[in-house]
Amino acid sequence: MKLEGRDLVVAASRGDVEAFAKLIRDNSSLVYRVALRMLGNDDAQDASQEVWVRVWRNIRNFRGESAFSTWLYRITVNTCLSIRQKEARRDERELGDEMPYLSEPSGGDADPETAALNAERREEIQAALRHVRAEHRAALVLRHMEGLSYAEISEVLDVPEGTAKGWVSRGRAAMLVALAEQDGLHRTAEAEG
Amino acid sequence: MTPVAGERRWEVLEKIGAYAAGELEGEEVREAEQLIFDRTDYRRLAESYARMLVMLSTLGSEEVEAPEVVIGYAVRRANMSAFLRQAETFLGSLGRSYLDALIYYFGLRPATRESYGGDTS
Repeated sequence: MKLEGRDLVVAASRGDVEAFAKLIRDNSSLVYRVALRMLGNDDAQDASQEVWVRVWRNIRNFRGESAFSTWLYRITVNTCLSIRQKEARRDERELGDEMPYLSEPSGGDADPETAALNAERREEIQAALRHVRAEHRAALVLRHMEGLSYAEISEVLDVPEGTAKGWVSRGRAAMLVALAEQDGLHRTAEAEG
Repeated sequence: MTPVAGERRWEVLEKIGAYAAGELEGEEVREAEQLIFDRTDYRRLAESYARMLVMLSTLGSEEVEAPEVVIGYAVRRANMSAFLRQAETFLGSLGRSYLDALIYYFGLRPATRESYGGDTS
């Protein structure tokens, strides 16, 4: 019998390893994607493995009060946050005298190559994300990269909706400050080179 | 920069960010638009936010496949855990059976009156 969605979760919660394996295959990209955004390349793999160990350990307690994906997001974010606990107060960039801004891409906004994001930009985004405080980064990733609503974010992060909004807002600002600083350094290097 | 001025700048920074993300409503939209209209650096800030949000959503919408090693590891761990659970149950019941047998063998169980439904009175 081929199990899907909710049945798969129920079967896995009863100890059906085959159902759990299918659940992993169906949702592995969600877990890995979030871990990658929150932790970067080096730790994403270990974090994803740890997430699935925690899911297997706790799936018997999943009562279906929220969507399975919400529950999975929560475990993923909590795992990433616990890995990054030590850097919770990491060096968030200070806002200087000038407002931060990003230079316009060389090909203009209509340039399809720019839209697809080159490797350098990708690295800059990942590096800038690391300068955003862990909780704010989680909220930012869920909102602007995963496309979750504030109600969903508040459920995943287990905070009131107002707090979720505040964290996204703070994360967005901190991210722009960090990104603008890198952009500035990049422009200086280009001018000197 | 005084702490109050710094706080005010963060406030503006966050407000224009919320405007660029389309999250403001009513009077707040007008306030943000006024700020952007009045100052070139705020206009540039709004454009930078818009650019950053496009980059984030572009990156977010890209397909990311988990490495096969992650999936393989998770399935192996689940298999191992399920096996250990079954082994624990099996060994537990086996142990209980041996214990029962020993108790019976050494006559350690207190005698109980067995009833087969007949009246003993």
